[in-house]
Amino acid sequence: MGAYIVRRFLWAILLLLVVSFLTFVIFDVFPSADPAVLRAGRNATPALIHQIRINLGLNKPFYIQYWRYLKGLALHFDLGYSYYNSESVRSEIFSRLPATISLTVGAFIVWMLIGLPVGIVSAIRPRTLLDRTLMGGALVAISAPVYFIGLLALFLFANGTGLVNWFDGAGSYVPISQSPATWFGSLILPWFTLAAAFAAFYARMTRGNLIDTMGEDYIRTARAKGLRESLVIGKHGLRAALTPIVTMAGMDVGLLLGGAILTETVFNIPGVGRYAYEAITNSDLPAIQGTVLFGAFFIVFANLVVDILYAFLDPRVTYG
Amino acid sequence: MALLEIDDLHVSFKTMDGVVRAVAGVSLSLDARRTLGIVGESGSGKSVTAQTIVGLTRFPNAKISGRIMFDGRDLVSMDADHLRDIRGARIAMIFQDPLSSLHPFFKVGHQIVEAIRVHEDVPRDVAKRRTIEALRSVGIPSPEERFDSFPHEMSGGMRQRVMIAMALALRPDILIADEPTTALDVTVQAQVLELIQALRDDFGTAVILITHDLGVVAQMCDDVAVMYAGRVLEQAPREVLFDGPQHPYTWGLLQSIPRLDAPRSDRLSPIAGSPPSLINVPRGCTFHPRCPYTPPPALETEPPLEEAEPGHLVRCHLSVEERRRLWQSLQSEHPALR
Amino acid sequence: MRRRTAVIAGLAGALALVAAGCGGGGHSNATGGVQGASHTLVTSGAKKGGTITVLSEGDIDHLDPGAAYYQFTYAITYVTQRPLLAYKPNSIQPVPDLAASMPTVSNGGKTITVHIKHGIKFSPPVNREVTSADVKYAIERGFDAAVGNGYATAYFGVIKGAPTKIGNTVPNIAGIQTPNKYTVVFQLSKPSGIFVSALQEPLTAPVPADYARKFDKGTQSSYGNHQVATGPYMVQNNAQGVITGYSPGKSIVLVRNPNFNPKTDWRPAYADKIVFKEGFDPSVATRQILAGQGDVNGDFPPPPAELKSILSNSSQKSELEFTPAAGNRFVALNTAKPPFNNKYVRMAVAYVLDKNAMRLTRGGPIDGKIATHFIDPSFGSQGFNQAGGFTFDPFPSANNSGDVAKAEAMLKKAGYKSGKFTGPQVTMVADNSPPGSNTAQVVANSLEKVGFKVKTISVQHSAMYTRFCGVPKNTPNICPNVGWLADFHEPQADLDANFNGKNILPANNVNWSLLNDPTINALMAKAEVELNPEKRWADWGHIDDLITESAAAIPWIWEDSPTLYSTKVTHASELWNGGEPDVSFMSVK
Repeated sequence: MGAYIVRRFLWAILLLLVVSFLTFVIFDVFPSADPAVLRAGRNATPALIHQIRINLGLNKPFYIQYWRYLKGLALHFDLGYSYYNSESVRSEIFSRLPATISLTVGAFIVWMLIGLPVGIVSAIRPRTLLDRTLMGGALVAISAPVYFIGLLALFLFANGTGLVNWFDGAGSYVPISQSPATWFGSLILPWFTLAAAFAAFYARMTRGNLIDTMGEDYIRTARAKGLRESLVIGKHGLRAALTPIVTMAGMDVGLLLGGAILTETVFNIPGVGRYAYEAITNSDLPAIQGTVLFGAFFIVFANLVVDILYAFLDPRVTYG
Repeated sequence: MALLEIDDLHVSFKTMDGVVRAVAGVSLSLDARRTLGIVGESGSGKSVTAQTIVGLTRFPNAKISGRIMFDGRDLVSMDADHLRDIRGARIAMIFQDPLSSLHPFFKVGHQIVEAIRVHEDVPRDVAKRRTIEALRSVGIPSPEERFDSFPHEMSGGMRQRVMIAMALALRPDILIADEPTTALDVTVQAQVLELIQALRDDFGTAVILITHDLGVVAQMCDDVAVMYAGRVLEQAPREVLFDGPQHPYTWGLLQSIPRLDAPRSDRLSPIAGSPPSLINVPRGCTFHPRCPYTPPPALETEPPLEEAEPGHLVRCHLSVEERRRLWQSLQSEHPALR
Repeated sequence: MRRRTAVIAGLAGALALVAAGCGGGGHSNATGGVQGASHTLVTSGAKKGGTITVLSEGDIDHLDPGAAYYQFTYAITYVTQRPLLAYKPNSIQPVPDLAASMPTVSNGGKTITVHIKHGIKFSPPVNREVTSADVKYAIERGFDAAVGNGYATAYFGVIKGAPTKIGNTVPNIAGIQTPNKYTVVFQLSKPSGIFVSALQEPLTAPVPADYARKFDKGTQSSYGNHQVATGPYMVQNNAQGVITGYSPGKSIVLVRNPNFNPKTDWRPAYADKIVFKEGFDPSVATRQILAGQGDVNGDFPPPPAELKSILSNSSQKSELEFTPAAGNRFVALNTAKPPFNNKYVRMAVAYVLDKNAMRLTRGGPIDGKIATHFIDPSFGSQGFNQAGGFTFDPFPSANNSGDVAKAEAMLKKAGYKSGKFTGPQVTMVADNSPPGSNTAQVVANSLEKVGFKVKTISVQHSAMYTRFCGVPKNTPNICPNVGWLADFHEPQADLDANFNGKNILPANNVNWSLLNDPTINALMAKAEVELNPEKRWADWGHIDDLITESAAAIPWIWEDSPTLYSTKVTHASELWNGGEPDVSFMSVK
């Protein structure tokens, strides 16, 4: 296991290198805006742009820019400075991370608490009216764009902008350290918005997995033992049906920790996702690179955690 | 009085394609300490019959009628809770594929402990001791260590031993073994069958052995029922059946037994055609589409299950004499059938 | 200057989906514009105190007043910093601010003398009185790449000794003289008709050299995060002078400047605190303002659907102000290469464009009036009227929907006998997201009516400018998504950069038509040094007409800028600054 983790870790580093390199290449090759010109302003002279290009290191070939970037990253964990407002990308990302973590973890809890029970109920009573209603609703929730759900939530339930003023609306987020109650209140709508599609997807996954599992021979064995149905489903069925879901949840959380761009944008939560959105809008390579790397890191890390977790969840899996 | 008496059992399932009549009027009986073999191809209704005994076919789309008398009570009409008390404790089952029948995520010891504690309120350590004993009694070496093994860490034969240990841990009155050796190597098959036999002898457990293999039946069973399309076509004590089988289907099954002593050209001549759909069961004798003889009434009416000689029931339109004559000529054609 | 119009990305589609249900049409008047509330400035009866909350979608560009070059940022800069001249909210005429009186021009327009007020002090931690040296340093640091000012050379390059090479140091500019603590004298290398107007740029707001120099070292000045204020407000800071009130992309907090002396200023500065909250979706923020959860929109216009809904609601309608000064948008045709080096081919385009359909892609009449030349109506008597006001339209068509017959006549003059363009395919570089991409589609459709085959390359808006239309060697035949917002209300600031041949630059070029017409160039050279304002404005009005007639670029809209206020505050929209709210004139009711 130890050797396996080390090996995976090295792969993860390689993968992050490839990701960062690709980001550089894409930025270099594709027609994004010229950061020096954006920084200089529309009436700026070529002389100023020239000097800014030098200051930002943009006059160097991109492989040298990339090498400098890697050196800063490896030696000082330095993600560079925004072309746009010269702020440190690392500190900007770290300052936004708590918001993204708050959003992700809360949404994760919501979608698991909704998705799993709904999926289980549907699986126990397949093809009944209840099942069809729940799965139909899930399909709608999966298909609806997050931005649409977010606006709908704001225009229906948010303080001020809604038909009913039940929850805090956009821009009400405060850090948990400042006021736990306000923090919680401000995140209720975002949590449910972000969780909606996931809950629906997990409900369908849970239903499908559980129905498949309930057809397994070992379930028949459990019944043949004389186990009561609740235990057959709750222990033997779910143990097997939920294992792939737990691992998928790990991946999804990893993905979202890289920034839930749309939810953060519509609810104005100052998280990593909105930072990424602004970075792309401003052709701000260091910020783009930083957020991409961060997102990739979380995905790779979640992958590793999930794989290790799998070895504990499924005894058939071993790593050498 | 018989230990288990199945009387006119019908089981059907409503599906998208139509109603599947899996069991259509089966009556069987099993006495204590006896072994009943139920033989047939897949789709003959033998597994459904066996699983219906312990209520494993009570799906929302199932319709079950008839009676299954056990210990003076009808298992068909019994409520789920009471049936569950019997299931596993007094009537146990083992299945075809021991790998898929054991839960992959739980240690085998735990799975047996669970089976014990479902029915008996014993402390965990007692249940564990009994589990280890059960594992030992089915011939698993160093059972204390194997207690903590996962199913995938064991061989196929060992897994089936675990299943048997689980089934027998509570000393049931009846063990239903549903194709217990089909998924195993030939050499392991023999060991497992011997084990079931030995346990039956030691514990006095009655056994219902579901199989498609008449060879296994010849080795193991006291009584035999041959099933086809949800019906019993022939039923007799083992000696009687093998001495003079009277149903063309049984003859076909006998012909398909692989025999090491027979010449190669004479081996494995399976019955032509395939089993009928249980949704559209043929009119008349259900076997007539595949029957080489087909007396005229077979196309219209289904023959009753009639006693051809004491203890030997046959469902066929041919006369007893005709059947005897045909069997003898078959035997002369195929020396292997002698 | 960066235009206030928000960056609209792909998300707009989702917004429209939700917002489409609400609202009727706008109230159009005869000329196709929309009438909101009249432009009012209430100063009587306003109360002191309270907090004003400004909602915005994005961030400011630069906190440093020497680098700020964006309408939205100016809303902050102008209440924290005091340039030599400044504007009252509903005016386009600069008035003395740090200056004690209007500058005096002498020496044939080559010497400008400004006296500054006594008793204006920097905010903590500097705390000392502002002197003329602070103004000199402020302008000089505009020529330092570490500060990165975008307009220093354009407006102050005319000062004697202004550097042409830009490095990472603050130069000493000999032409900025400080004969005493309260006098600044600018010596120009040639007369400039707009130099005095340019003194309202925030670059002239004083920066204390003794304090700021250490922050200006290196390749990136950090003065923005240590800045001191001279206005009624300052960005919140700590005792060491480090800015604490700015979280990029999140918020900006302005508090009262304790060293501000109201006797030196005409800003009433009613509110105690101004909070800029950033990161809002425009439709959500619009509704929040209507609900009183914010007081005014900062960097975004309320989306068209929301505007229509507000205009149809009698109680909300009065909270909306339209400022006719959000600049123009035009389609630039590349005059440097075929086929648009031919004037008649260009004129055919000018005739055939369906301006009405183009305007619909931005919300219809609610977005502004259809433009018939470049100088927009907010210039009023400072050039707009001289160019012909609303009546000058060299390429008229019914309902502004294009005139195919006239276009064909032009093509015939250009040598296309059938009246249809038969030359090779023309290229167009356009936005890849609405509304720009839709506008480009209308342009392509219009051109196809007279035979053009248009190849459209779609890229991000900023890439369109910085990689294609702004780089002459990459400039396509057509740039349909360009536009200009004058830095101040001198017509030169509206036309010179876009159409003067001398301004064609190898990069960051804004003369997107690559127009290099000797007649126009000569007229511009003359008008630039014209010191008599009436004559200057008349000259530029004439130039506007000539450019429009050349069809080097086809203006199609003069945008209005909507500003929405909550019922809790009084209104003060900056006419000079595209309708940005002037928080130093607003008050909490």
